[in-house]
Amino acid sequence: MSQAGTWSTSAAARLAEIVGAEHVRNDPQSLLPYQVDEVVPAAAVLPESAEEIAEVMRFASAERLAVIPMGGRSRLGIGMPPAKYDVALDVSRMNRVLAYDPCDLTLGVAPGVRCVDLARQLAAERQFLPLVMGNSEFAARDTVGGMVAARTDSPLRYGYGSARDFVLGMELVTGAGTISKSGGRVVKNVTGYDLHKLLIGSLGTLAVITRINFRTFQVAPEQRTFLATFPGGAVGLEAALAFCKKLAESQLQLRVLELVSGGAAQVLAASGGALCPAESWCVVTSAAGPSAAVERHRRDLEEMTRSARPCEFFALQDTDGDALLAVLGEFPRLVMETFPGAAILRMAALPTDTAGLLQIVSETAERNGLAEACLVRAAGVLHAGLLPPAGDAEAPARVIRACRELMSASAARGVRPMIEWCSTELKRAMSVWPPADGGAKIAERLKGVFDPQGILAPGRMAARDSKGRD
Amino acid sequence: MMDAKLIRELEKVLGPSGVLSRAEDLQLYEYDGSVEEGRPECVVFPRNTEQVAAIARLAKRFGAPLVGRGAGTGLSGGAIARRGGITVAFSRMNRILQIDAANLRAVVQPGVVNLDLSRAAEPYGLYFAPDPSSQKACTIGGNVAENSGGPHTLAYGVTANHVTGVEIVLPEGEIARLGGVGAETPGYDLTGLFVGSEGTFALITEITVRLMRLPEQVATLLAVFDRVENATESVVEITARGITPAACEMLDGWTLRAVEEFVHAGFPKDCAAVLLLEVEGVREAVAEQAAEIADVCRQHGAREVRRAKDAAERDLLWKGRKNAFGAIGRLSPSYYVLDGVIPRTRLTATLRRITEISEQYGLRIGNIFHAGDGNLHPLILFDQRKPEEFERTVKAAGEIIEFCVSMGGTLTGEHGVGMEKNELMRLMFSEEDLELMRQVRAVFNPDGRLNPDKVLPLGKGCGETRLRPLPTAPSGASSGAPSGAPSGASAGTASGSAPTTAP
Repeated sequence: MSQAGTWSTSAAARLAEIVGAEHVRNDPQSLLPYQVDEVVPAAAVLPESAEEIAEVMRFASAERLAVIPMGGRSRLGIGMPPAKYDVALDVSRMNRVLAYDPCDLTLGVAPGVRCVDLARQLAAERQFLPLVMGNSEFAARDTVGGMVAARTDSPLRYGYGSARDFVLGMELVTGAGTISKSGGRVVKNVTGYDLHKLLIGSLGTLAVITRINFRTFQVAPEQRTFLATFPGGAVGLEAALAFCKKLAESQLQLRVLELVSGGAAQVLAASGGALCPAESWCVVTSAAGPSAAVERHRRDLEEMTRSARPCEFFALQDTDGDALLAVLGEFPRLVMETFPGAAILRMAALPTDTAGLLQIVSETAERNGLAEACLVRAAGVLHAGLLPPAGDAEAPARVIRACRELMSASAARGVRPMIEWCSTELKRAMSVWPPADGGAKIAERLKGVFDPQGILAPGRMAARDSKGRD
Repeated sequence: MMDAKLIRELEKVLGPSGVLSRAEDLQLYEYDGSVEEGRPECVVFPRNTEQVAAIARLAKRFGAPLVGRGAGTGLSGGAIARRGGITVAFSRMNRILQIDAANLRAVVQPGVVNLDLSRAAEPYGLYFAPDPSSQKACTIGGNVAENSGGPHTLAYGVTANHVTGVEIVLPEGEIARLGGVGAETPGYDLTGLFVGSEGTFALITEITVRLMRLPEQVATLLAVFDRVENATESVVEITARGITPAACEMLDGWTLRAVEEFVHAGFPKDCAAVLLLEVEGVREAVAEQAAEIADVCRQHGAREVRRAKDAAERDLLWKGRKNAFGAIGRLSPSYYVLDGVIPRTRLTATLRRITEISEQYGLRIGNIFHAGDGNLHPLILFDQRKPEEFERTVKAAGEIIEFCVSMGGTLTGEHGVGMEKNELMRLMFSEEDLELMRQVRAVFNPDGRLNPDKVLPLGKGCGETRLRPLPTAPSGASSGAPSGAPSGASAGTASGSAPTTAP
């Protein structure tokens, strides 16, 4: 563990002037929760407004202090270790719903609003945001700003898209301390450049998000989750993929389509999602709408599974269905908790590439003496977990080797994965980001515009670290 | 006048048939769907990305402005060569390169016509969801530049929601790929930023789009109201009931009478407003939602709710909606089309304000709009040959747009800012907001030579909304129109370049 950056008591005093002394933390014990990849900041500040953040950033900019914005701190492990980290900018005091017009399906929130609190508030109006499904203690930490900045998706992605599809606008503070905004508060708008889209998934490297405007969605009169299970191994996978293909070719309107591998089912089973039999391929679907439409989905799905044998089909009770979607939403956390030292790669996977990519994952894991846990989200995004056996001293090295092999094998197929979840040790050995693509130069210049001093989460999105290690 | 040497160089790249530079040829490219005008000094017709890159390099070498152009149907002057220079017309880059039905993707060149892609995808049971009313003519490159919408984007989102990757040529000639074929790419969402940049970031040479499965069933409903308020209240109630129709369009009584005279779509001529609603999906959902929508409309005083009995009747109703502007063009020498957005719960108040403005300025204003998402298209009728009337028109337009913004809305929902509303950007954005946008644009377009003087206000830090120059009066019109008239609007003229389709 190390403490990065330069610090002085006058800096602490200045931060206290801006946000109030009671909202600055700098004793070592209280700073431990703010560590990012084992780097502990010199201070944490908890501002309560965009204006205070702007002032903090202007000060940080003048003093060249590196700042990492954060909310619930549940996803700080995503990205490379910070090249420098002086101040944790904790927005958890900015936790108000700023505007909510249920009839307009629009919502404006401060970044520190907890997803579970927001979900409760929206549910009172029979609405929701397809952003978070989890309901565990861990998920309760998730803040809206953090989820958006980390580009977290949910099992509802198939039906409702990801954040870029339902974020309408943002207010932000740049690295130079300028408050700015983009987009709007209405569901349709093409006024000006959509700068807010850049901030989705930017891991706090471009600006501090101080407000997000969303489009909300209505809860349907009825919703039902379905589970189709297939045997493990190649035969089961083939049948499961054939079933997914049939679904995609049908005119059914599903809101969830997740393919869960045998290894992933095992992790979920161990975590309360026992409905997915371990070692089986599972396809989880869900439909919502008028009850006749939901019943039609059940009927058609059951019919399709009959011709997709060997397969078992279950229409889940509401509570079971909700619980299953919740554990699917928390898949990465469950994997990392069950298998410390695991790595989870995230990559776009077209339906026709899925079988090939799953095979590469399985072969790579086997070759390196690892287990796998794969989840194909929304027929388009593969989360591939490489799981080390417990108590094996060689495991970290084997995970690193497997990640390298998997990165290069998927690159050969034109796929660019990132290692979304992994140990700090792995990040010291290799970059979690794929090699630069055609947009890299543009991305670098954009970083310079938003954060001219390079003080926002420096190094976190860098493909290679300052020492040129890969 | 363009450097003859540059013309010769361009001809070397494109062949003589790929370059137009005679005044009579250039005249055809000096306007788009708005009445904004600006004549390019030459128009070039590349056939591939390498040629586009070569054109960009030559433009840089000679310091010439560059403007991309699709079909020229835009309504905010986005394809107008405001500073002359080279217009890059993509009409020869109009091939659908791939339809990958299994992965719900298509790869197209920018000059592919929007409807042609849906037609090509239809045999696979797929279509391209964004459907601007100009879809028979407008191109996908233009849709990406403007982030186009359309009636059916209420349920399925605008162009940005359906683009996964683009190949672009930066103004200095560099070719880059943003995004890809997959659902996402690691790192910053450059594709998301790019879509809707109105041709000011780069020229688009290839687009990868997401295709959607055609619905099992579609129900098109026409609800007829004797009071406008009853129609707008129905829209709010439909949303409150948790129904998101695929489309929810409104025409007021005056507009629908004009449309009916022209299209004979079956709109009743004696009512105050109609709602044209569509629900689609599996037949059970369609049946239930159509019944519920009809119920809501009746509860809010609809005197009749009619369901199109077949595809022919459905097409006729949509023909009425999509050809509305052509119908208006028959009745008035000129008209302005506005494109403001308001929260849909403010529909009633906003329409009331539009009526007041209409009376205050003594101008006929028709209302036709995407009610479901609060995207208004008030049409102000005027005679551009009468300078005083035109002045009143642009003032009325400015007031309507300002009112939309004051309601929490925006300047434009789908037509873009272009050169019509760039001076109105300060109604929504602070100088800091605009400066950040300027710097982001400079990342792609450092010297501003690509599509110059669009989107952002030309003045800097003056603290007041500057006014755009008045469009040139159509030929035959009397001169002396006032200058400096503001507008949040696109305009069409019946005598000149009237667009024949509504947005």
